[in-house]
Amino acid sequence: MPEMDGFETAQMIRNRGRSSRTPILFLTAYRSDEQLFRGYDLGAVDFLFKPIVPEVLQSKVAVFVELSRNEQLLLRQAEELTRTERKFRAVLEAAPDAMVITKQSGIIELANSRADALFGHSRESLIGLNIRTLIPAWEQAHPEQKAAMRSPWSEARLNAVRRDGAAFPADVTTSSFVTPEGPRYTTAIRDATDQVVAEERIQKINVELEKRVQERTAALTYSNDALRQFAWAASHDLQEPIRTVLNYSEWLSEATRGRLATEESEMLDIIRQHGDRLHRLLIALREYIRVSESGGRQEWKSVNSNAALQTAISNLENVIVESGTSVQCGELPTIHSVEILLVQLFQNLISNGIKYRSAEPPVIQVSAVPSGNGWTFSVTDNGAGIDPKYFNYIFGVFRRLQAGENSGAGMGLAICKAAVERLGGKIWVDSAPERGSAFHFYLPEGSRYEDERAPDPAG
Amino acid sequence: MKMSERRILLVEDNPADAWLIKEALRRRSLTCHLDHYLTAEDAIRAVALEGIDGTSVPDLILLDYNLPGGHGVDILAAATKNSNLHSVPKAVVSSSLMPDEVSHARSLGASCFIHKPANLNEFFEEIGSKIAELLEGRRVP
Repeated sequence: MPEMDGFETAQMIRNRGRSSRTPILFLTAYRSDEQLFRGYDLGAVDFLFKPIVPEVLQSKVAVFVELSRNEQLLLRQAEELTRTERKFRAVLEAAPDAMVITKQSGIIELANSRADALFGHSRESLIGLNIRTLIPAWEQAHPEQKAAMRSPWSEARLNAVRRDGAAFPADVTTSSFVTPEGPRYTTAIRDATDQVVAEERIQKINVELEKRVQERTAALTYSNDALRQFAWAASHDLQEPIRTVLNYSEWLSEATRGRLATEESEMLDIIRQHGDRLHRLLIALREYIRVSESGGRQEWKSVNSNAALQTAISNLENVIVESGTSVQCGELPTIHSVEILLVQLFQNLISNGIKYRSAEPPVIQVSAVPSGNGWTFSVTDNGAGIDPKYFNYIFGVFRRLQAGENSGAGMGLAICKAAVERLGGKIWVDSAPERGSAFHFYLPEGSRYEDERAPDPAG
Repeated sequence: MKMSERRILLVEDNPADAWLIKEALRRRSLTCHLDHYLTAEDAIRAVALEGIDGTSVPDLILLDYNLPGGHGVDILAAATKNSNLHSVPKAVVSSSLMPDEVSHARSLGASCFIHKPANLNEFFEEIGSKIAELLEGRRVP
């Protein structure tokens, strides 16, 4: 070469970073060994001696280019591998848990510094150790042990052992992967001591809570039962003395007839009237308790509500005739229900319509329409009507909107409400003063007391 | 005691009711000898001894069921044990009876249940007619 010889050029190619690994093919006319060694020192891969045979040159160039490319590729792959491994180790180090990678035999190949710290081993003593030294029941965390979970990893709470022999509970998660050298397991170990303590505390609190709930429930059930028994006994046992008072005040008024002054006889009448009222209140209270207590225990069966209404009407025959009441009804459904409660409902609502009538002769209409999962019955009257502000009040116990001897015990609608609730439904009223009232009650088709229904032979 | 005079064994803790029962009998013109026991203890003792020494047994046992301590049951049980009383009608009187009380009393031999109405004339009518009926049935075996 003129101004620069080939060796200098090769030197420069070598010195440039980008071309430092470029294979150099020397073309030369000299064949001295000294020159050959110098060329090889400068990175020559081969020498071609002049005269050049083009085919040979082409073939050599192709071979060396191919070789060089492969070498570059290998180099890049090696670098990539190093980077991946660094990333992998960084991930391993950053993990919040102690992590080890083991062979199938359990021999530890790789561990992070949390593993060192958790188990009190140095890295060197950890590598090559069998993981069973750390977690004797390691296999129990293997995914194969939990195949049913169909999860690529599996977790188990296992006993772990520190280098000093101290045992502690650990949550152990294991997953496996396949390498050309055979399967490997990644095991993450988390100290569960605090968690176990917390879990035991929660467990204890739950047990305590459950105990308290049971105690409260028992206390409530007890006081509920006691209240019911009290209400029942009171209504029952008070009947006896009030009956005696009534019997004797009547006997006295009979025995002294014509012998008492007007005022004295009025006083006796007051005793009788109020005794009578107390007696009626007690009977109504008993009826209320009976309905709200025992409705659920009554027999559920197919009830023709037309027949139930007719029973109610015949029970009220005297009042209906005396008041000139007309009771009208359309076709009513046959429902799954408790007959005596349905009769009671019709009877109390009709009686209510008659009791609180307007100046007109009472006209009471009974109807039913399908509604939701059951029926809504309506008992409509042309009576005095009710101010909306009393709509809730009237369904309470001992509630009356009128005073006086003629009024009832104030239990009729409370009994209706108890009966409807026993049947799993609800009752409400639409009314306005002077516009009559419409009492509606919805009864689901025996849904609430499903278990008390006779089994259906059809299935 | 004349042979024709009927004897009623009455167990009633309420003297006021015993008086009313006597008046009911009087109004029916039923002349009866009334052995009235106010406490369950006395009644149980008396029931156990009826007819033991060959003397006559009562024509009717009339029992207030709602005795303090629920002892109406014990008196019926004592009457059942005394075989002399097997053919004697046993009637239960009460202001109010639960259906299960009725069936229990029936299982212990009570054959008649008499309600005590709050209305005076109904009381006399109910008590008087039921007792008359029971005594009538007793006289014609």
